[in-house]
This record gives sequence, structure tokens and C-alpha cells, in this order.
Amino acid sequence: MKTTVKNIGIILLVSAVLAGVANCVHPRKIPWVQKRSDQVEIRAKEQNQKIIGFAQAQEKFRALNALFVDARTAEEFAKGHIPGSVSLPFAHFNGEEYFMTTFDLVDSGKELVIYCSSRECDDGRLLAAELEMLGCTNVILFIDGFDGWEKEGGEVEK
Amino acid sequence: MSRQRTIYGITFWIAALILAATFFVGTSKIANPADFAETVYRFQLLPEVFVNLVAIYLPWVEVVSAVCLLFVPRFRTAALWILLLLLIGFTIGIGINIARGADFGCGCFGRNDDAPLSMFHVFRNSGLIALTLIALICKRKIGRLSK
Repeated sequence: MKTTVKNIGIILLVSAVLAGVANCVHPRKIPWVQKRSDQVEIRAKEQNQKIIGFAQAQEKFRALNALFVDARTAEEFAKGHIPGSVSLPFAHFNGEEYFMTTFDLVDSGKELVIYCSSRECDDGRLLAAELEMLGCTNVILFIDGFDGWEKEGGEVEK
Repeated sequence: MSRQRTIYGITFWIAALILAATFFVGTSKIANPADFAETVYRFQLLPEVFVNLVAIYLPWVEVVSAVCLLFVPRFRTAALWILLLLLIGFTIGIGINIARGADFGCGCFGRNDDAPLSMFHVFRNSGLIALTLIALICKRKIGRLSK
């Protein structure tokens, strides 16, 4: 038993050394520590997407001059969403059931504020990119998402 | 005695070959560390600070253990224990995420393993756990019969 424990230690140590060396010379090496909650924002900025936080989203919500679009699943939308927002789950973006919704959004000419569940959810960014590709010129990503909205005390409709 | 030893030996090698083949897939995780880090992150079981460290380290533990299991007799038992603990850990992680209602790809075998998490993954891992236990038992029996 003692030998087995010692050998387990040796295997783990050798693996650690190999992993360390490999990640130093790997052509696709990754940082040892990475803040992942910022990844969506970083990608959105790389693609020159417009991003807003809670305060600006709240302003647009109160001014009633923007249409909020919820990129989460229909189930999540049903549990609670930003009042007046339109459900367009990114997972079903190409589905027939949302064809008219997409068409209406593109045709509305309004400013579209897209949101997902949180800062870590990528669906909002992806949906914003798809809508831009379809010709929407005024698409904004609300980066804090529904969780951020709820946490900051924004109104919720069920 | 000799016949028994042969049966245990064959059983051990069948189990060891299946396990090693399964864990050699760790090489695809080594080749694409960013993809695997994304998978580790999606499981939401570790603090953010550990995600990349685990994604860098874990595939090497898998591969080194698989190599030891096949080619380094002295380390076979230790490798089996490590694989057993890894499998138990993976299965618990999958179980927790199924219970949470997560439907992302397992990523257990690298970037191509994108079938959504399901009980299939739990059963598959349970089978591998059983196989590891069989290999450990056979290894012990062979050791005793050799004395």
C-alpha cells in the first residue's frame, strides 16, 4: 500500500512536470489563470459590437426607444424577463417558429438591445452578430444579462 | 493454479487495454487545451482560478497513467488507482450537471465529444469504473498466485 501511494505521487509529479513544460512550449498554450467571466465582453469588443451595462440599459428601457431581445431559452424567458422584451432564443435562431420574430425585428428599424442570462453567456453576443448580418444596423449587447438586471433591481415581467 | 493465473492475466489485459485506449484520448485534450478549458469551465465545479490549471494538468495525468498501465509494470496498480479516482470524479461531475439541467457537450473525449450530457455518460463511466475495479482485483490475484 505504501509503495502504491508513493507511485501515485510519482505519476502525479511526472504529469505535473510534463504539463508545465508542455504548456510553455505548446503552439496553442493557454494562460495558467484566466478570468473567464470577461471572455464574452472581450470577444464582443474584438468584433466591434456595441456593449452597454445595467445603467445604460435601464436608461434605454425607461426612454422606451429600444426593443429588448432575450436570447435565452423559451423556458428561461417564461420564468422572468425584462418587461416588453421579445423572446428569440439563439439556440432556435434558424427555427421556423422564430422566423417571423426575426423578420419583425429586422424590419422594425428600432434599436435592438440583446441580452442573455449573464456576463458569461455567449448567446446574446452570437445573436447580436446574427442580427447584424441580417441587416440590423442598431444592435447593442446588454452585457450584464438578465441576472445582472435582476440583481440591480431592474423590473421583471413573468 | 496456472490456469487461474492465465484467466486473471487475460482479464487484466483486456480491461487494461480498454482503459488505456480510453485515456489515451487525453492526447486530444493536450492538443487543444483551450477547448478542454472551456469544457472544464462549463461544468461549473471549480473556482475560475483553477479552470486552466486543471485543463492543462488533467490530460497529462490521464495519458501518463495510461502509459504506466501498459508499459511500466511497477506503476500499474498506482495508475489503476488514479484512473479509478478520475473516473469517479468525472462521473460525480457529470451527475451534478445533469441534476442542474445542463445540456452542454460532455467533452470527455476532447472537442469531438459534443453529445449533450445524459445518463448515457454516467452509465459509460460506471462501466469504466467497473472495468478498473476488475483490473485491480485481477492484478492483486495475479500477485498472490505468483507468491
